[in-house]
Amino acid sequence: MDEGLRSELSKQGVFTTTLEDLYNWGRKNSVWPLGFGLACCAIEMIAASMARWDLARFGAEVFRPSPRQADLMIVAGTVTKKMAPQVVRLYNQMPEPKYVIAMGACAISGGPFKQGYNVLKGIDRYLPVDVHIPGCPPRPEALLHAFMTLQRKIDEQALTGAQRPRHLVAEAPSEFPVPEFGAHDLVPPANPEIWQPPEVVRGE
Amino acid sequence: MPVDYSPYLFIVVMLVGAVGFALAPLGLAWLWAKKYSPRKPGPGKNAIYECGLESKGDAWMQFKSEYYLYALIFLIFDVETIFVLPFAVAFGGLAPGACVAMMIFLLLLVEGLVWAWQKGVLTWS
Amino acid sequence: METLDQIKARVEAAFPGASVEIVPNAGVGGQRSLLVDHAHALDVARFLREDPALRLDYASNVTGVDWLDAVIKEKRKVKQVIAGVEREIEETTERRRPGYLEVVYHLYSMELKHGPLVLRLRTANRADNARVPSLTPVWRAAEFQEREAYDLYGIIFDGHPDLRRILMWDEFRDFPMRKDYVEPDDYEYEPTPHDDVLAKAKRHYQP
Repeated sequence: MDEGLRSELSKQGVFTTTLEDLYNWGRKNSVWPLGFGLACCAIEMIAASMARWDLARFGAEVFRPSPRQADLMIVAGTVTKKMAPQVVRLYNQMPEPKYVIAMGACAISGGPFKQGYNVLKGIDRYLPVDVHIPGCPPRPEALLHAFMTLQRKIDEQALTGAQRPRHLVAEAPSEFPVPEFGAHDLVPPANPEIWQPPEVVRGE
Repeated sequence: MPVDYSPYLFIVVMLVGAVGFALAPLGLAWLWAKKYSPRKPGPGKNAIYECGLESKGDAWMQFKSEYYLYALIFLIFDVETIFVLPFAVAFGGLAPGACVAMMIFLLLLVEGLVWAWQKGVLTWS
Repeated sequence: METLDQIKARVEAAFPGASVEIVPNAGVGGQRSLLVDHAHALDVARFLREDPALRLDYASNVTGVDWLDAVIKEKRKVKQVIAGVEREIEETTERRRPGYLEVVYHLYSMELKHGPLVLRLRTANRADNARVPSLTPVWRAAEFQEREAYDLYGIIFDGHPDLRRILMWDEFRDFPMRKDYVEPDDYEYEPTPHDDVLAKAKRHYQP
């Protein structure tokens, strides 16, 4: 249906939609996060879910205590190397479609503890992160913004075709390898399929 | 022209409607999942949820036998409530005999509780 | 609280043969501490805890310190007669000090509201004999912190009830707070590297 006809119909009081839009509309307004926090960012996440910032406006107030019922993983806080396998395992146990928000400087890069011996340099080494939030910690508004960004991302996902998201592709993996505890570091230190060290391109 | 409807026909219609109302979304969801969202089971995904840790041992373990005694005593009060509530509702129109019968029933239950108490069931060791 | 010299004298009187030493502190605070030998460490700890004038019943803090092998230069003023004239010249002596690991206990008294008294134990060396007696039997609060010192410095506490790693995972083999710890080489780009990080950045991202 072309856009002109649709707007003409809506002027006449007839609302038209596509199956894809309806599906994405339903999904983006009922994103249930997994209820877990790793460090101080979790306090901001809790604040965002309470009355003052009211995450419920976005259909995301139901923090699920089990990964089986969750759609979204908010990695809120420092991911230590000891905790990283558990976080990946929780992500693996979530049903598709699933999304990841890396909240705060630590979760996206290791933050102030980046050179520490026990801190993972960003959860994106093991998990496909959809939205990164910088900040130490980010304010609840930043989390709300990340939520809206995620909703926009969900809204734009195609139902069919080559561009359809991972969860609609039967061959795409639903699980990511869980790192093992090694003698000196996690083994492997990153999942090379989803993460490569950043390349520096220097201008002239 | 009065039509002679069987009063049970409405119940059957309601029943079919209610079951259909519940099953139709489930069926639609099943069809949708079949067409659009492929199942992706896996060893990690199907693993027992233990807050992200690998589970150790078996969830099938023995409970203490005292627990069953507690459950039995709970049942006493449960049954008591079921009988006492209708009794209380209909209290105004009851004959004295019914009242006495109820009191005997309650007495029997209380006796059971006192017996269990004497046996030391209520003290958890 | 009594002065450290008084405490030292009383400990030495109570345990003949115990080697108790006062470690000077060149810092601004100048807080001196008590160094105790391994054989009498438990006895001395129990004495500090039970003695009615001290009653140090609260081990607030247990930490490790890593002292690498070092060459210590000492300057002394010596009077010498040179060509018939007595003159004062400076003489520098060098002395090699083998490295060791140190455990520092900060003790307070809840009952008498005084403290801290700083107690030190030293290992024989940094490699095969990094052992000290555990003071957990005296202060229960030391248990987790001694485990932490074991985890991060590799100090083995003899007599500790449950000496396992506490922060790092059990399979980890290094001791990350030691000064010669070499961390895994997985530097990734950051915009403003400095000091050690700058050296790593130069190694990974050639300018």
